[in-house]
Parts: sequence; C-alpha cells; structure tokens
Amino acid sequence: MTNGDYPNDILQSLEDYNINIRDFLPGHGKGAKLLLNFNKISGIEQVDGIILKGREIPNGIVADIVIKEGTKHEEPVHLCFGVNKETGIQEIFPRIIAEDNTEVKIQAHCSFPNANGLIHKMFGHFYIGKNCNFTYSETHYHGENSGALVAPVAYMYVGENSVFENNFTLTRGTPGKVKILIDIYALDNSVIRSNVKAYGKNKNDSIRIRDSVFLEGEYARSVIKLKAAAKDGGEVLMYGVTEGNAPHCNGHVECSEIVLGKGSICRARPFIRAIDPRSSISHEASLGRFPQKWLDELMARGLSEVEATDILIEAMLQEDTKL
Amino acid sequence: MLLELKNVTIPTFDQKCVIVNNVSFGVKEGSIHAIIGPNGSGKSTLAYTIMGLSTYKISQGQIIFDGREINNLGITERARLGITLAWQEPARIEGLSVSKYISLGIKDKANLKEKITDSLNIVNLEPEKYLNRYIDETLSGGERKRIELAATVAMKPRLIILDEPDSGLDVIITEDFMNIFEKIKKLNMTILLITHREEIGMVADYGTLLWRGDVILTDEFPKVMLRYCAKAGLKEWCKRTLFKNEAACFDDDYIDRIFREEESS
Repeated sequence: MTNGDYPNDILQSLEDYNINIRDFLPGHGKGAKLLLNFNKISGIEQVDGIILKGREIPNGIVADIVIKEGTKHEEPVHLCFGVNKETGIQEIFPRIIAEDNTEVKIQAHCSFPNANGLIHKMFGHFYIGKNCNFTYSETHYHGENSGALVAPVAYMYVGENSVFENNFTLTRGTPGKVKILIDIYALDNSVIRSNVKAYGKNKNDSIRIRDSVFLEGEYARSVIKLKAAAKDGGEVLMYGVTEGNAPHCNGHVECSEIVLGKGSICRARPFIRAIDPRSSISHEASLGRFPQKWLDELMARGLSEVEATDILIEAMLQEDTKL
Repeated sequence: MLLELKNVTIPTFDQKCVIVNNVSFGVKEGSIHAIIGPNGSGKSTLAYTIMGLSTYKISQGQIIFDGREINNLGITERARLGITLAWQEPARIEGLSVSKYISLGIKDKANLKEKITDSLNIVNLEPEKYLNRYIDETLSGGERKRIELAATVAMKPRLIILDEPDSGLDVIITEDFMNIFEKIKKLNMTILLITHREEIGMVADYGTLLWRGDVILTDEFPKVMLRYCAKAGLKEWCKRTLFKNEAACFDDDYIDRIFREEESS
C-alpha cells in the first residue's frame, strides 16, 4: 500500500503528531496495523502472534484484535480510524483480547481533519489476561471547525498480575462535542494507569469524560489522571471514578483543570467509594489558573502572561504517552 | 552603574508594615554584587521587587536600570530589558522538557540546540543526559537549580539575580556553584547574588549588608562581610575561619577595631 492509497489529509494530520507515516501503512514498518477510511477497511497487516480481523457493516466495522498467549512486541499495533469527509457516521465495534503473558502496545488514531457534523462512535471491549503488560493509547484530532460529535465507550477487563495503561489524548485542533465513557475492571494484583487529556478551545467545544476504575481484586492498584484546559467558552467536565471493592486495593484519582477566558467552564468530579475497610482510595482536584509563581518564572524569561500560560498548558497536556 | 536603587521602600502587600526601608545602593556592570543579611532581613523581597513581581511594589524611591527608571515596568518588560531571576525554589513543571524550558528565554532561535547545549555545559550538566528530561520531580534539588541557572544564562541577560542559589545544597556542590558564578561573570553578565551564607558570597566583588530592612553598608565584599560578622557577634569564628586564607584578609587588630565600633554603635 502506498501513500496514494490513503487520504492525504488524514496522513498529514498523523504526521503532525510526529508519526512516521512511511511505516504506518501496510507493507511498511514492522508493526501490525489496521486502517479504516470512513467505513471501508483500507488495509490490514498481521504479524506473528497478533491476529487482526475486520468486517465492514453499514456504518462502520466490527474488528477483532487477538494477541496470542506469550506474544511480546516492541513495535506498536497501529489502528487508524480516519475520516476526511465533513459529515457521516462512523461506528467502530472493536474487541481486543490479550491472552496471558503478553506484552503489547496499541496506538489508535482517530483523525477527522475536515469534520463538520461528523459522528464517530465506538463501542469497545478489552479483555486483558493474566501477567500481561498492555498499553492502549488513543489520540484524537477533530480538525479546526469544532464539527465532530464523538462518543466512544470502552469496557476494559484487566486480569491478575497485569499492568494496563490507558491513554486518551484530545489536545490538538478543536474537539467539538465529545462524550467518553471508560470503565476499567481490575482483578487481583493488577495495576491500572489511566491518563486522559483534553483541551476545549472555543464555545463549540464541549467535552465530557467519565473514566472509571473498579478495583475488584485483592491488591489491585490504580491511578487515574485527568488533565484538561478550557478557553474562550470551551467546556470540560471530567468524572474520575474509583471504587475499592476488594481487600488491600489502592486507588487514586487526580483531576487538574485550567480555565481561561470568559465563558469557559471546567468541572472536575472525583467520585470515590470504598466498601472494604482494608482498601485505600484517595483523590485530589485542582481547578482554575496556574500558580502565579510558575507564571512569574516564565515571564522572567521575557514571556508575556499569555505566552507563559500557553507554555504551561502545552506542558500540562504534553503527550508523554507517545509510543 | 547598571542597577541603582535610590531610597527604595517596600511595604508588605497589605501596606501595613515596611519590609525594606529607604535603601540605596548601586550594582556595577560586570561585577558580582552580593546582598547579605540574616533570614528575614528583606533580601528576597528586594530581589523580587527588582524583578518586578506583581505582589512586590515599592511605596517610594526609584529603581534605575541602565539609566532608565523601571518602577512602572512589569516582569516581562524588565526581562526584555535584560533582567532575569533564578529562583530559590524553582518550580517543577511536569511535561516541560529541559530543552524547551531553557529555550524559552533565547530570543534568536538560530542554532537553538547549540545554545541550549552551551548553557548546560556552563552549569556543568552533560547535555545528552538532560536535554530530553523534564523539569519535574525526577530532578534532584541541585540539578533543578543548575537548570535554572542554565535557563538564565541562555537568555544572555545583562543582570542575573540569583536568589539564595546555595540553599539546600551541600558544601561540595556549593563550591561548584561558586565556580559557575565566575564563569557567568566572564560572559559579561552582572550578578546580583542574594545569600546568607558567607562562603558563597566570597566570590562577590562588592556587597551590601541588609539588616532588618536597612542597608548598613555597601562596599567591597570582604569589608561588608566583616561588618556582618561584627553585627552578628561572630568575632572568633571570623578570625579563625572566614578571612583565614583570603587574599583580602584583615589582621586581627583590624577585626577587633571593627567589632569594637559595632559594639559601641
């Protein structure tokens, strides 16, 4: 598959994320990959131990990704759900199964550079086996018109002694209307790290995210980090939910949100619950502006307050989850 | 004089008390000028006021930089004139890389990496180990302070205010920092060094003794340091330690005289 076989504006938006698009297409690079162009499968490439299957349905696809027992790959699996149309509906139903003792990273890109009324929905199920090390990173780009409606829902089950990292990033372009729901169920001695970052840039941007971890197994641990900024009328609401439902489990929720400009709204709602007296669940939340000292430090380098704030937002939403 | 303070009084934010009272002194271009004094004497307040932090306003007097009164300029404007400050406890900002942080103050972005690398070399940090790190909790206190210094040097300012650069550092690192200050001075930058530790002040050419908000003396640094010891009643320590091996040392008779003068005053 060559670059000419896939919409250039989608590839360009990926390149803006420092992704090497040469290795991204089937036939290039080492990793497994699945590319979707609106509701058509443009390409699939499997590698040893990773099975990728997709079936087109009227408004999207059903996809199965199976990581066979014991498979370990450094190279990430790339999933690209691209749409270069302004409108339409794209529905994705992925089922991701990581069998026991696997170590894999999945990098998903949802790129809608020209969205203006486009609807993207995902309904995903993740089953992570025992003793796995699994990372799922999803990066969104919705163009500059605030014209997408995006509603992904994911249920993730993480097996015993597994480490699972979930990263969701929506910081470039303008998001539009976004509703995200993530439920992660953690079994015995598993470790969950969930990082969500979003940036609402104008009054057409409304982002609602509920990121939940249910610590169902003994000694399960989790950290949810929700970071957001809203400016010029943008709205962000983040729920960070952690339930400690097993002995000796330990969870923490952290929400940091920055509000800039008139009419912008940030709301953070850490919601924690413990039903076992041997569990420990905590939360912290901060809303508003950056500490004045941070601004002063950057302004002492000659930056204006606006420039300093932009640098701090960029740092806060830094994609430290790149694969 | 590169910087002059004329009859500057700095009140508390609520204007109810005076922190620094009617102080005047000047800082010569190309020199290291230390402001010394015990905790609470107003040294950091003076530093932040010169830098132009919004919560530190003077109620009277003039701050003159390179012949221009800068009383009404904000922090950004003062920085753009060539003043900068290295904080006592610089912030740790998750997600902000060392290279990005240092680059912020570099106006001419040509050969940026080379400029960043040079500034890290000046503060004795190996660039390849630090360029891609973040200025977060993974850095030790000493590393963070060196990076702060590198960021100020990279700006090529005319005046660097160093607010207690030695705080929290052990003796060996402090010695290294003194060498770094000498290197910075050779780059034709003027340093205003805020400290309450005598040994780090020994790199200074000139000094000002600040005591409970008042300037007691501005002179060559050893003389200022001697007066500081006299006010603090540290005669034996002063004779045994402070001026023991210094080229500009004073004999015991001179030290005794200064101490007598201080006691009688």
